[in-house]
This record gives sequence, C-alpha cells and structure tokens, in this order.
Amino acid sequence: MTTLPVRPPLARSSDRVIAGVCSGLAAHLGWPVKSVRLGMVLASFAGGAGLVFYAWLWIMVPTADEAARRNARRPASPIAPAVSQPAQATSADDGTPAGAAGPVPDGAAVPPGAPWFRTHGMRYGKEILLGCGLLLVAGIMIAQLLGVDVSLGTLIPAAAVLGGASIAWMQLDDARRAGLVDKTRADQAGGWGRLAAGLALVVAGVLVMVSGSGSWEQTWLALLASVAVLGGVVLVLLPWALKFWRDLEAERAGRIRETERAEIAAHLHDSVLQTLALIQRRAGNEHDVVRLARAQERELRGWLFQDPGRESGQLSDRIRAVAGEVEDLLGNAVEVVTVGDAAMTEAHEALVQASREAMLNASRHGGGTVSVYLEASDGQAEIFIKDRGPGFELGDVPADRLGVRESIIGRMKRHGGSAAILSTDHGTEVRLRLPAAAEHVEGK
Amino acid sequence: MNASQGTGAGGTRPANSARVVIVDDHAIFRSGLKADLDASIQVVGEAATVEQAIAVIAQQRPDVVLLDVHLPGGLGGGGREVIAGCAALLSTTRFLALSVSDAAEDVVAVIRAGARGYVTKTISGAEITDAVFRVAGGDAVFSPRLAGFVLDAFGTAPADIADDELDKLSARELEVMRLIARGYSYKEVAKELFISIKTVETHVSAVLRKLQLSSRHELTKWAAERRLL
Repeated sequence: MTTLPVRPPLARSSDRVIAGVCSGLAAHLGWPVKSVRLGMVLASFAGGAGLVFYAWLWIMVPTADEAARRNARRPASPIAPAVSQPAQATSADDGTPAGAAGPVPDGAAVPPGAPWFRTHGMRYGKEILLGCGLLLVAGIMIAQLLGVDVSLGTLIPAAAVLGGASIAWMQLDDARRAGLVDKTRADQAGGWGRLAAGLALVVAGVLVMVSGSGSWEQTWLALLASVAVLGGVVLVLLPWALKFWRDLEAERAGRIRETERAEIAAHLHDSVLQTLALIQRRAGNEHDVVRLARAQERELRGWLFQDPGRESGQLSDRIRAVAGEVEDLLGNAVEVVTVGDAAMTEAHEALVQASREAMLNASRHGGGTVSVYLEASDGQAEIFIKDRGPGFELGDVPADRLGVRESIIGRMKRHGGSAAILSTDHGTEVRLRLPAAAEHVEGK
Repeated sequence: MNASQGTGAGGTRPANSARVVIVDDHAIFRSGLKADLDASIQVVGEAATVEQAIAVIAQQRPDVVLLDVHLPGGLGGGGREVIAGCAALLSTTRFLALSVSDAAEDVVAVIRAGARGYVTKTISGAEITDAVFRVAGGDAVFSPRLAGFVLDAFGTAPADIADDELDKLSARELEVMRLIARGYSYKEVAKELFISIKTVETHVSAVLRKLQLSSRHELTKWAAERRLL
C-alpha cells in the first residue's frame, strides 16, 4: 500500500453556510474554501450534480464533533488495539503466533499499523465503489439524454442488488468494528436494520430480474428452491457460527479476567511482595516484623474489603487512619470497631485528634493491643480507647505534661464535648463524647 | 478474653478437656493452631475441604469444630456449607468460626448458619483455648468486631415493648454488646455492669440466638446491602 498524504480527516466544519460541507471538503483537500463553494454551485447547474454531491456528503460525512468522538472511542492503550484485532490478522501480518505474549509494549506497537491501513483501504474502497456506481448512473442518464435506449427494466433491479449488497457489506464492516470497540444496543439495532434493508433490496432486485425473463410460477418455484438451499446452508453453518460466537465471547471474558488478574498481581507485587522482602531482611527484629506485618495486613484489608459504594473521608475512615498511624509509630496493634458513621466537621476533627492522643498513650503505656470503639449516630459520636496496661492516676501526672490534660480533656471541652478517663490496675479506658449539637456552638 | 470461666455452664461439657476438629485449608495454619492450643484440648481430626470436614466431623463427633470461613470444595459455600452438612449434629457439636476475613458477610453468614462464635485468626493460643471451652459449654463467643456487626445490624436503640423480641436487642443486651465491642472481656463486662459472668453469658447467648433467628426487616436490609443473604 502506498503511503497516503497526511490530510485532516474529512469532517463537516463549524464554519458553514449550509452544513459545513464545503469548508470541510476544502480543509480535507487543502483547497481554498471559496473555490470549493464556487465549484459546488457551478456543478449544481450541471443537471443538479453539485446538489446531489452536496447532499451525499452532508449525509455521509460526520461533523467535526462526531469525528472527534469517534476518534476518542479508539483504545488509547498500546495493548488494547493488539488484543482487539481478530487473531488471524495478527498471525498473518507479522508472523508471530497469536497466543505469544512477547514484550507487550514493543510487540503491540507494530501490528496496529497493518489493520489500520486495512480499514482505511476498505473504507476508501467502499467510497470508490460508491463513486463508480454514481458515475455509472450519471453515464447512463447522459446516454439516455443523448438518445441511447437503455432498458430500465434490467437497470433498476441491478441497481437494487448492488445497493442492497453494499448496504449489507457496510453493516458487516461497521458491526465488526463497533462490536469489538463497544457493544451498545443502539448500534446493534441500527446494524440489524441495515442488514434487513440490504437483504430486502437484494432479494427484491433478484426477484424482479428473474421474473422479467420467466413466468411467475417459475419464479415462485425458484424462490422456493433458493429458500431451501439457504436453509440448508444455514443448517450447516449454524453450529460453526455459534461456536465461533462462543469462542469470541470466551475470549472476551478471558481478556477481562486477564485484566483483573493483572491488576491484582500488580497490587500484590507493589504491596505484599515488597513487605515480605522487608520482613525477611528484618527477620532478626521481632518488633519490626510485627509492625510490618500489621501495616501490610491493614493495607491489604483496606484494598480487599473496602466498600466501593461508600463515600470515604467519613469519621470512621479518619479514626482507622489515625489508628494505623499509631500502629506504625509504636508497633502495638490497634483494633478498631465502628458502628454507624458521621460526616467530618471541625469538631469531629478535634475528636479524631483527641482519640489519636489517647491511642498513643494507650499504646505507649499499655504495651499491648489497644481496643478502639467508635459509635456514631445522629445525636452524638462516642469513642472508647481501651488498653490493658498497669493504669495511672490522673492526679499523679506532672502538671507540665500536657498530653492528657490539654490534648484530650481540654480539646474535647473546647469543642463542646467531654472526656473521661477510667484507670484501674487492669487497664485504662478513655471515653470521648461529642454531641452533634456541639459543632453549632463551637462552629467558629 | 480472660481465663476460662468454667462455672457449670452446661451439662454437655467434659470437665477439663475438649475434643476438637480443625477445619482449615492451610496446613501451616492447622499445625500452628495445634501447637498453640492448650494441652487440655485434644485435636481428634483435621480437614482441608468441605467434603473432608463433613466426613471427619460425622466420624469423630467432636465437642467443638474450629471452622475456617473460607474453604475449597463443596458447592463453594465454605464454612457455611460444612455447618449445613452437619445439621444433625448441631446439638452435640459446636462450631467456632475462625477467619482472617473482616467482611461482615463472611462473619454473619457463618453465624446465621449455626456457628456459636467467631474469632479472628490472629488471636493468641490462650484466647482460642478459652473460646473453645466457652463454646463447648454452650456459650457464645463474640469478638469485638462481631459485637460491632451486631450493633450495626440491630441498631443501637433499645427495644420497645411492642417489638418482636427477636428483632431488637434489649437495653441490657445492648450494653453487653457495646462493652464487648469496646474490648471488654466477659469478666470485665460483669464487673462493669454489676452482674455475674453467668448473666453476661446468658445475654450473649440471647444475642446470638437473635442474630441467628431474627428475620427482622432491618437485618435483612442490612444484610442485603452487604450481599449477605
């Protein structure tokens, strides 16, 4: 195939007098717009040829917007075009087995060239065919005008057959492209409509042609015979077609599965494998190993069990995030249980910060698993942070240590909430409570 | 949870030992769990798939089955299917679900199938031993997370008198569930509420029963949202 000159795609432009056909054509051919318009007007006087041509372009050529949309539908990834071609095309064009993966980005960059030209060639071929047909019609009309006798009785059926066949073929070509790119119902319905129209035209044309030469009865018999033959062909080909269709579906499903698998593999590689490598290197340090394992577990859980329908950034998410930070910082597990949820406000942020401080204390002094329980409802949000350490007496804490007094109790009070600390020999529990009304009081 | 509270919780329970079958598809986890369990617990069988589990349990008739929620084999129902397959033994054999999964659907589905409790796989050998004895004695074992799920499903408002008793938790049951969700052991719950441990156990068992039997509208909706039923 010879290289085509690079031209802007033929599209009706927005700079228009009637439908933007002339300016689009001018941009495509690289001619001045004025001369194209003039040519079109002049051609209109030649038996209306210009008008017909204009109308044809109007119908056939997409607007610039549509063209852009159509281009956007083309897969952007370098892998996608390679997989969306029919397998035999790939193997025939570049000689590699269809199943061979190879280095994907490089291997995939080559094949798109070949089918790309093919579709282009086909599209131009179709247009050339149509142009030839129109020229033929024009020639016949001129011949008739000049007095040559052309029998319309044979011409019209022949034209019908040709027209029907081309409509059906267009549909085949379109359907294949559309079917592989996306499968919308509207496209399919249009496709079936066109197929039916093409078929009807061809059959009608053939019927008229045949009936012209023989009796009606003969035609009827011939029709019956051809229907029988067609039925036979369908009977033979149907299983094959079904199998082909099923293979195609299976391949499509396989591709989806493959994509999913690749995504999971990528995630596991980025997270779990890296962490396992780290754990092996730190195997001597039990503390680090536990911390790494906990952090990885948290990350993986977040990925596996997150509810995609739920909006993130809620109070429970913040509490979980803070608990994760504390775990990473101090190495002790922080178990979070949440019931209900609330949208974040300024006061809620203070609640989160206070509970972070409490978690840090619990993890540092409790020296074991920290239990965090969040209960949020319309009325209020409550958080309980519990450890199993030796406990402490608030009065014994030196006055200059601000952790508990300021960061927990003071902060909660400033935002209209309350904090209570309950400490025994078997552990300490910090109870934080924030009424929903508090945010209005302490809004500014 | 703290040391076992063995104060005559049920007649079916042998004094100081329990026969256990471990069902888990990871051989490493099974051997690790066996090593972790207290000497008073006798592991009489192991299984890695749904079919094996049903066969081993029917043959051994253990006191407790430690059951992984996710199992290969069968119809793909995992632990739930094992419990369904052993329905005839439910009066003598108790199931304790073990899982690494945090997902509500996994946990609640296996509980509704008939498991007496649910614990995560990261808990210590002592805790799991305690949980085994508790389940063997006919009690329910609730982890903080399971308590959280229950509160989420049933709502945190106490029951009205008019409500179907299966559909809501009583004020006392709510309190117990809240404390368990906050990380309290049964003993600590008892102390906090000034009731006996036996009473705590009764409340927890009542909640378990409600969780298993309730056909409450909200529970169904809650479960449907999480694709449970």
